[in-house]
Amino acid sequence: MVLVLAIGDLHIPHRAADLPPKFKSMLVPGKIQHIICTGNLCIKEVHDYLKSLCPDLHITHGEYDEDSRYPETKTLSIGQFKLGICHGHQVIPWGDLDSLAMLQRQLDVDILVTGHTHQFKAYKHEGGVVINPGSATGAYSSFTYDVNPSFVLMDIDGLRVVVYVYELIDGEVKVDKIDFKKTATTRSSN
Amino acid sequence: MVKKKVPDWLNSSLWATTTSSSSSADDDRLQRYSSKHSIIADTATPTEPLDGSPVPVSTPASIREQPPRPSKPEIKIKDKDKDSRNSVSSNINNNEEDNGNSVAGPSAEDISRQAQLLTELSKKVVNIRELRRIASQGIPDGAGIRSKVWKLLLGYLPADRSLWSSELAKKRSQYKHFKEELLINPSEITRRLEKSTVCENDEAKSESSGMLSRSQITHGEHPLSLGKTSIWNQFFQDAEIMEQIDRDVKRTHPDLHFFSGDSSFAKSNQEALKNILIVFAKLNPGIRYVQGMNEILAPLFYVFRNDPDEEMAACSEADTFFCFVELLSGFRDHFCQQLDNSVVGIRSTITKLSQLLKEHDEELWRHLEVTTKVNPQFYAFRWITLLLTQEFNFADCLHIWDTLLSDPEGPQETLLRICCAMLILIRRRLLAGDFTSNLKLLQNYPPTNISHLLYVANKLRAQPSG
Repeated sequence: MVLVLAIGDLHIPHRAADLPPKFKSMLVPGKIQHIICTGNLCIKEVHDYLKSLCPDLHITHGEYDEDSRYPETKTLSIGQFKLGICHGHQVIPWGDLDSLAMLQRQLDVDILVTGHTHQFKAYKHEGGVVINPGSATGAYSSFTYDVNPSFVLMDIDGLRVVVYVYELIDGEVKVDKIDFKKTATTRSSN
Repeated sequence: MVKKKVPDWLNSSLWATTTSSSSSADDDRLQRYSSKHSIIADTATPTEPLDGSPVPVSTPASIREQPPRPSKPEIKIKDKDKDSRNSVSSNINNNEEDNGNSVAGPSAEDISRQAQLLTELSKKVVNIRELRRIASQGIPDGAGIRSKVWKLLLGYLPADRSLWSSELAKKRSQYKHFKEELLINPSEITRRLEKSTVCENDEAKSESSGMLSRSQITHGEHPLSLGKTSIWNQFFQDAEIMEQIDRDVKRTHPDLHFFSGDSSFAKSNQEALKNILIVFAKLNPGIRYVQGMNEILAPLFYVFRNDPDEEMAACSEADTFFCFVELLSGFRDHFCQQLDNSVVGIRSTITKLSQLLKEHDEELWRHLEVTTKVNPQFYAFRWITLLLTQEFNFADCLHIWDTLLSDPEGPQETLLRICCAMLILIRRRLLAGDFTSNLKLLQNYPPTNISHLLYVANKLRAQPSG
């Protein structure tokens, strides 16, 4: 039972001041084992805050991040799953599922976590699953001002992942979940 | 051992070599045994037909039933459990620094005691009072006797043998239920709840691509939930206790292979200890887990797990759980901090010990508490709360527990008497010492002859010494 937080696109301090208080009250240290961050934090203080929630933090570089040492993409293994992270501004057209699928095949991961669109999405294709946690602060994106703050918490348990989606809609936290299993047989690799 | 200015009964010649005991006008048995042992000592040749092996006078554990093992005079603590069990008893005999007495005596006593115990255990209805009487003199180490006797004494097994299998089955399945309910993590729980409602055509969907469907969560149950009734929240709150239990279990008896080390056996034993403590903590939210419970659990589990009967050993975890609950029930209040100053708390028990000492040996009491100002809390706290597991080596500890569990006065009273006896036995050193040396001595109690200690403790029962 491994809890992995997927979060990103906070754009603090440029586009938002802080996480919504209702989110902040839920995010306490000691519960989460890994954090996956798509990028665009943008400053060190946010990095430190995330680090205080969980020491195992993985970040990729978003175009507004002030720390240039973050990598463009990252892959890691948690339990039976391989996860890949990429901010997503590098993949053109932005948010296009086919292009993201290409990236996923390139990284050879089961779950690809990307951001940049500030819109939550969970999409499945033959290569695996793409998850976009959206923007945790509700910062405006390159397309629209109408953004609901959201983030994702994954519960990885063997071959099964339960994805809990936390969204702040009209001031209330709404939680949904998505279930999927990885088939034991490996994907066709050629 | 000659002690000046000390009552005669402390100076019993029972512990001297070869003479038949005329020490006390207590039970016949003592007389009978001492005459027996004098015979053996006199003959000095290993013509005893009692055990088939040559010259094993130092191994009362070489029993008729088991194939005789070569006696191992030194205790090998790091050995595997079976070996240590056998050499344990030889250690009891060799560990006689105070009196250089013969080893022949206990052997005959032990064997006869064992015979009595076996007879008692094989009766249709076990006479518990009789069992207590025999067991209070010590239980031999072999043939799973201790395991059965402790279970009977703690009330886990009923006296009527015919009920044993049904009782055991009931209790074991109850424990299994506890484990299933309490040791499960929230992911498992949600998965099981869903299994009842999931539609199996999910499998078919899994092949196609597309947006993943979102589903509702039940009752606001999600991992970051802060609700009091949320299973996730409760899980995280319990996590701290689990960590504490885990740490303590890993530190239990690091010198014994049974409990520590890298072997899978040790690991599975640690797992079992952890499970028992976690289930106990969850079932008793008032007291939860307190450091030290692992020490009380350890001897119980050791004895039950090493039962030569395969079936008993396999279910040792469940058996240990119930016996642990029973044993702790008398001492629970010592672990509750709020009750420290109350009538049932640890302070009051320590005061009782102090009173007992004053009653039996006023000189020592005065010297300890008034002159050198050694507050009994400094040493007796550990003695009492941990039931003397930390003061003696493991083997001696089992021996003491035999008496503790079997005495009809009850474990608490017996414990106090034994503690008092511990003080009286080293009175000479204590009387000669100051605060520092006395405290040092009491916090690292010197190894003693356990049988002697228990004998003295027994004597403290009826009347104060003259």
